[in-house]
Amino acid sequence: MDKTTIASKSVITVDIGSTVTRSLFFDVVNGKYRFIAVGTAPTTAGVPHFDVTEGIWRSLEELQFITGRHLVSEKDGVIIPSTPDNQGADIMVATMSVGKPISVVTVGLLDTVSLQNARHLAQTTYANIIAEISLNDRRTSSDRINLLIRKRPDLIIITGGTNNGASHSLLSILESIGLSSYMMAENQRPHILFTGNEQLQDEVKSGLEKISKLRIAPNIQPVLGIENIHPAQKEINEVFKEIRAKQIGGISEVISWTEGSFTSTASSFGRVIRFLSEKYEPEKGVLGIDIGSDATILAASFNGEETLRVFPNLGVGSGSAGVLEKNSLELIKRWMPIELPDQEIQDYIYNKSIYPSSLPLDIEHLEIELAVAKQAIRYATEQTIPGLQKQLGAGGTLLPYMEPIIGSGRILTLAPKRYQPLSVLLDGLQPTGVTTLALDQNGLLSGLGAVAESNPLLTVQVIESSTFLNLGTIIAPLGVARPGTMVLRVQINREDGRSFTRDIKYGSLSVLPVDLGEKVSLHLRPLNRFDVGMGGPGKSGKVNAVGGVFGIIIDARGRPLQFSPDQEKNRKRNEAWRKTFSKYE
Amino acid sequence: MISKVKHIHAFTSIKRERALPVAGHVLVRRMQKVSPSDVIVVAPLVPQFILLDIAQGLNVKPTRADELLQRQAGEDLVQGDVIAGPVGLFQRVVRAPLAGIVKMAGEGKVLYEISSPEFELQASMEGTVTNIIPERGAIIETKGALIQGVWGNGKITYGVVQPVSNDMLQELVVEQLNIGFRGAIITAGFCKRPEVLEAAGIVPIKGLILGSMSSALIPLAKKMDYPIMIIDGFRETPMNRAAEAILIENKDKNIALNAQELDTFLGNYPEGIISQSSTTEADLPSEAETLKVGKKVIIINGPKAPQIGQIDKIIAGKQVLSNGVGTRLAEVGLAGEKRVVIPLTNLEIIKD
Repeated sequence: MDKTTIASKSVITVDIGSTVTRSLFFDVVNGKYRFIAVGTAPTTAGVPHFDVTEGIWRSLEELQFITGRHLVSEKDGVIIPSTPDNQGADIMVATMSVGKPISVVTVGLLDTVSLQNARHLAQTTYANIIAEISLNDRRTSSDRINLLIRKRPDLIIITGGTNNGASHSLLSILESIGLSSYMMAENQRPHILFTGNEQLQDEVKSGLEKISKLRIAPNIQPVLGIENIHPAQKEINEVFKEIRAKQIGGISEVISWTEGSFTSTASSFGRVIRFLSEKYEPEKGVLGIDIGSDATILAASFNGEETLRVFPNLGVGSGSAGVLEKNSLELIKRWMPIELPDQEIQDYIYNKSIYPSSLPLDIEHLEIELAVAKQAIRYATEQTIPGLQKQLGAGGTLLPYMEPIIGSGRILTLAPKRYQPLSVLLDGLQPTGVTTLALDQNGLLSGLGAVAESNPLLTVQVIESSTFLNLGTIIAPLGVARPGTMVLRVQINREDGRSFTRDIKYGSLSVLPVDLGEKVSLHLRPLNRFDVGMGGPGKSGKVNAVGGVFGIIIDARGRPLQFSPDQEKNRKRNEAWRKTFSKYE
Repeated sequence: MISKVKHIHAFTSIKRERALPVAGHVLVRRMQKVSPSDVIVVAPLVPQFILLDIAQGLNVKPTRADELLQRQAGEDLVQGDVIAGPVGLFQRVVRAPLAGIVKMAGEGKVLYEISSPEFELQASMEGTVTNIIPERGAIIETKGALIQGVWGNGKITYGVVQPVSNDMLQELVVEQLNIGFRGAIITAGFCKRPEVLEAAGIVPIKGLILGSMSSALIPLAKKMDYPIMIIDGFRETPMNRAAEAILIENKDKNIALNAQELDTFLGNYPEGIISQSSTTEADLPSEAETLKVGKKVIIINGPKAPQIGQIDKIIAGKQVLSNGVGTRLAEVGLAGEKRVVIPLTNLEIIKD
C-alpha cells in the first residue's frame, strides 16, 4: 500500500467553480475510503469579495455542519492535518475553474501542423486563442512585435519543428517574441511555453529566460505526425495556476492549505477519466462530460491516452450567452418540448448570463436551461469528434464507441427529474453502439482526479462504492433506413432464466424494463445491415448489461439526430421522447 | 445567505479608479478637483515599433553593422535620419522611415518606437483626486447618486439627464425622440425596436439609459456611437422604481455615464454617477449583505423582475418550486401586491 495512503485518511477536496464552491469530505469507513458529505457556497472570486477563500470557508462551514466534524477554526484556518480527537482532515486538495479564460497567442511554423498542435494544447485549459503567428501569415517581424504588444496575451505557446528539424525559421519568430516581451512592462510580460524543436531549447533559454516567464516542455511533435501533448499539458496547467494566482485573490492561501495540490478542474477531470480507462477496461474508451456554469469540459481516454477539450464560455450560467453566440437560437430551440416565443428564450439566456446564480421559476424556463445544456454538449461533442476519431485511426463523424460515459455538472445532478440528465446526455452526446450512461451524482469526479495522484486508492475505492448513478445501458444502432423499418431485434435474458424479445424500429426511442442493478444478457441482432458495435454492419452478438434507473434504452433515432425545419414537428418529437422516459420516473 | 448589493443610491460616497494598463504621464495631482472632461493620464495606448535589419540594409554582417550604427538606444529620430552607414562604394545608409525613439540596437538590428497618437484618459466624472497611481492614473472620489447597470455597450459620456416621460414604465418609441433631446442622456423604461436606437443616433442623443431592452437589439446597441446602459436586464419591463425615482429627481442634472462592459471578476459594472456638492457625510456603500427579514430587495430574474420589495420571511429549509427545482425561498412583499415567493438566488439587496 502506498505510504501516503497509510499516513492520510481523511481528505477534503475543494472545487472552486465559476458560480459555486464545493467542498467534499472523504474518510475511511470500515477499512475503505468513502465519500461522506459535500458543502456548497457561492464562489467569491469576483465582486464583492474578490477572494476565493471566503467561499471556501463557507462551504467548509456547511460541510462542518453536515458532518459534525470540526474542519475550520477562526484561529488556525483549515485544520490540516487532523487532530487525535478527529478534527480537521489529513489532506486537502483543490481544483479551480473560476475566472476569465486566459488569453493565448499560438506560434508555430505551419498552420496545418505545428499551429494545430499549439491549438490542441491551448484547448486543454480555460483559454481563448486571441491570435496566431506562423510562417504562413506573411507578417514582418515588426508586425509580429506590434501584434503581441497590442494583444497583451497571458500566454504564448510556441511550437514548431520536429526534433532535428527546422530551426532557423522558428528562431526568427522567437526574436519577435523576445523583443515584444522586452518592450512590455515587467509585470505585464506574458508567460511563454516553448514546446517545439528540442534542439532549440538552449537558444530559447538564453534568449527568453531573462525577459519572460519561460517554461520549456518536450516537443509536442517530436516526429512528423506524432502529437505528444501530455508533457506540455502539465506545464500549461502550472502556467494556468500562476496566472490565476495573480488574477484572483486568495489563490496563494489555497496553494498553501493544499501544499501545492491545486490544479485546474479540467486537468483533474481529464486525469480521473484517464484513471478510469487505465484501471478498468483499457481497451474501451471512457468518456466524461462536465457542464458547468461557464465552461464545458469533454475528456476521453482510450488505453490510457487522454483527449481533453475545454470550452470556455460554453455553459449553462455565465456561459449560456456563449452557447447562443457559438450556435444559434434555432439550434437551441430544436431541443425544446414546449413552445415559447423566440424573444423570451433569447432574453432568458442573456439574463441567465448576467445572473448565473438565479434559478428558473417555472417549467418553461427550466426547459430553456436544459436545451442550452444539450446544445452546449452537442457543440463540444461535434468539436471533439474529429480528434477522437483521429486518435482511433478512423475518420468518422460520429462519437466512437465509448464505455462508460459519465456526465457531471449541477444542471444534471440538480435536475428535478432523473429523465432530464438522461435526456441531456443522450441528445447532446449521441452515443453509438452499446454503452452505459452514468451520472456523477455527487459531483466527485474532479475531486477524485485531484486526489488520484497522491492517493489513488481513495479514487479507486470511492469509485467502486457506487458513486455513479447508472442511468441506463444505451444501445444505439447505426445505419440508414426509412422511419418504421425494423433495424434491431433484442433478446433480453434475465438471470432467473426468463427472457423477452423486442423488435426495434428505426426512428424510435424505447425503454426496456430492467431493474436498477439487475444483470441481464442481451442478444443483439441488427437487421438491414445496421451496426451495434459487434464487429461490423449486420453482425450479431451477445453482451452483458446492467439495468440503470431507466433500465435499458434502445435509441434507434439515427446518428446524428436529424431535425425538421418545422420547429413544431421538432417540439412534438421532443415531447414524445420526454414522455418515453418520464413514464418510468 | 450573502447577497450582492445592487448599487442604486440617491446619495452615497463613490470612489473610482481611472487608470491605463500601460505606463503614461499622469496630469493631475492629489486633492485636485476634476470635471468629467479633464484628462487624468496620457499614454500611447498601443505603442508601435519598427524592427530594422541594419545588416541586411547595409549588406554587411551583423557585427560589422553594429560598428556602423550611428544611433543608440534612447535617441530620438526624425523621418529620414541616418541610423547606420555609410558603407561601401555607393555609401549605402539605413534611414528612419518614420520619426521615433531608438529602443534597442545591436546584433545588426535596430528596434525603435514610432510616434503614435497618445490616448487621453478622461476623469469621466466630477470629483476630487484622492490618490495618484504612479504612471497609470488616479483615484477619484465624489458624493452623489449612483445607478448601477448590468449591461453596457462599452462607451462613456457625460451630459444632462432627461427622462423622456414622467415615469419609466413605457416602451421608448421613435415619436418620443424629438429635437429637444439633442445632446442629452435620455432615460426610458424599455426598448424593443431597432429603429428607436437608430433614430436616437440621428437626433443625436448623447447617451441612453434603459431599464431593460430586448436582447435582439444587443448587436445593434454595440454598434451605436452613443453609450447605452441597461439597468435591470433583457426583457420588456419598466425600469425598477428605485432607479426611476433617482433619474426623475435628478432631471436636467449632469450624469457621468460609463456604459462599460460588465466584468464581475474585476468588479466593473456599467454605471451612472450624478455628483452632488454636499457637506453631508456618506459612507462607501457595502458590496454584500446577508439576506434577512426586513431587507429591501430587487428581484433580478423571472416574471416579477425587476420589482422591489421587502423580505417578510425566509422560509426554513429547502423548498421545491413548481418546476421541481429545490432551493431556499423568501416571501417578499411587493408594493401594492400581496407577497410573492422568490428563491434567495434571484434576489439582490438594494439600499434605501
